[in-house]
Amino acid sequence: MNAAIPLIDSDLVGTTGARHGAMGYLTDTTLCIGCKACEVACKQWNQLPMDNLEWTGYSYDNTKDLSATTWRHVAFIEQLDGTNGHSPGVMPPFQSNWLMMSDICKHCVKAGCLEACPTGAIIRTEFDTVVIQQDICNGCGYCVPSCPFGVPDLSASDHKAHKCTLCYDRMVDDLEPACSKACPTDSIQFGPIDELMQRAERRVAELHQRGVKSAYIYGDRAVGGTQGIDGLNCFFILTAEPEVYNLPAYPELPQDKVGSAWLATLGAAFAIGAVAVAALRGR
Amino acid sequence: MTTRYERTWDNRRKQSKQTPADESANGARSVTDQTRASYYGVPVIHKPHWKWLIIVYFFVGGISGASYVLASIAHLVGGKDAGRIVRAGRYLSLAALLPSPILLILDLGRPERFHHMLYILKLRSTMSVGTWILTIFSGFCGLSALIQAAEDGLLSRIGFANRLLLALPAKAIGAIGSLFGFGMSGYTGILIAATAVPFWAKNYRLMGPLFLTSALSNASAAITLTLSLARGTSHSTLQRLEHLDMLAAIGELTLLIMARRNLGPVIARPLREGSLGNIYRWGVLGVGITAPLALLSLTRLKPHAAPRLLAGISAALTLIGGFLFRYVFVMAGRASADDPQATYEFTRRERPLG
Repeated sequence: MNAAIPLIDSDLVGTTGARHGAMGYLTDTTLCIGCKACEVACKQWNQLPMDNLEWTGYSYDNTKDLSATTWRHVAFIEQLDGTNGHSPGVMPPFQSNWLMMSDICKHCVKAGCLEACPTGAIIRTEFDTVVIQQDICNGCGYCVPSCPFGVPDLSASDHKAHKCTLCYDRMVDDLEPACSKACPTDSIQFGPIDELMQRAERRVAELHQRGVKSAYIYGDRAVGGTQGIDGLNCFFILTAEPEVYNLPAYPELPQDKVGSAWLATLGAAFAIGAVAVAALRGR
Repeated sequence: MTTRYERTWDNRRKQSKQTPADESANGARSVTDQTRASYYGVPVIHKPHWKWLIIVYFFVGGISGASYVLASIAHLVGGKDAGRIVRAGRYLSLAALLPSPILLILDLGRPERFHHMLYILKLRSTMSVGTWILTIFSGFCGLSALIQAAEDGLLSRIGFANRLLLALPAKAIGAIGSLFGFGMSGYTGILIAATAVPFWAKNYRLMGPLFLTSALSNASAAITLTLSLARGTSHSTLQRLEHLDMLAAIGELTLLIMARRNLGPVIARPLREGSLGNIYRWGVLGVGITAPLALLSLTRLKPHAAPRLLAGISAALTLIGGFLFRYVFVMAGRASADDPQATYEFTRRERPLG
């Protein structure tokens, strides 16, 4: 057994967020050049098969979406002129109106997939990341629609759910995850999330100063993360509305609805019981 | 440093509305226009893989739970001539239950690992709660069916078991089992509501009651159909069931209208457009609810015009409608998960923050 993997320590591996030692990513989209090194590094390290060998026509994006075999996905957003559909004549302060963003599992502080998982296959690790244990997952697929960001997916080859592990196997050996290691512009930065958040705030302030007034942190814990979800361990610096990057603006934790949904159902059960008693009563 | 106020998107949106010049100065589309566009139409969330196995399970599982509830209620308050309803309800409940675990296990990506769900209970995971409801309900359902078999004299050859089953408190078992029967019929609605799928989650308070009411209507129809085919069913028994059928159909219609209104135009798109919209309009609302209601009203107006035939036909139509309801709601959920506009609409929030 590798002593570096404290798998039996109940303090470290639990289903609720242990905030100490939380690790994550800051993905600064203002630095992304769309080289896809993160996608490739992720596939190489995690031995993920290729997928979607086709031209999508979606700018330079041929990966389309996060999936069971794509854990990093670079989106290419060409912002066209509203009036004639061409590139705008006057460029905004940076990136020539071309947004690139490397999407990934957000490793939510309150994770919909983790709470949905009926087998306990999805756990929170000592790094506060969310990992699917492949030896437990039975492929029920409930985590797939339970993620407000559309991250986990069932694999067509082994029929189990897969998503980013934040390179758990590298972190336990004190290695930086593959994607941030490969990122040539430091658009993807890895580290303790408190430190990353401070860095993100400094960066946003700097961007504002330099004229990019639209920069903000998506998943900012100081304002409750995305409002519905209490915080993302992988957060982003964005310069347009979340929907432009195909991110939900205010995603909610699906399981927050379970309590009132059961209450309503209980009320309905009483009503139905009363109706049935009235209708079936013997004379 | 940015203030807390500036950091929230609601407030940012307000600001951009106040100063549209900032956005359009460089000739680019306004932010809100881009929002309407979406990222090449790629879905924001992933849809579940659930299809026919789950649709059929939602149908038979609902009937199983609600038949059990109806049989138990008939046993408790129905008096002497409710015996046929009790018998039909208990046997139907078991018959509908038997395929349920098979359908669910076949739907798993790794069916041989189904037992991984039985080592843990997570109250906030409706799949986990549902697994346990199904497991416990199976016990009650099987036991009540055995009691019925003993009462019908089918087990008289096994003297010991026969005596034991007849000595059991059948009414108490039915009452406790009914709680799980309700759970069986209703949890499926909560299961799909507690997801990020706009079509399901938008109506999270209505999905459980809707599935429950539909299950009751289907179970009542299944019992009516069985008894209308059986010889010697009394007129009063059928009348009681028809009464229940009507009330259930009216309840279902009310909930469907409420759900449709609450969805709004964007998220309800699958109900309006395409073949799914047609199946919803003509199949669920027409064949499943309006036609049975009309037939049942007819039997009330003319009590002697072939009551058994009309009751049987209306019950069969209700069952077809109940199945189509589950088909439409599962498929519409999948369609809305694929529609980025539905997700944007669902995750947009107008309430002030911070």
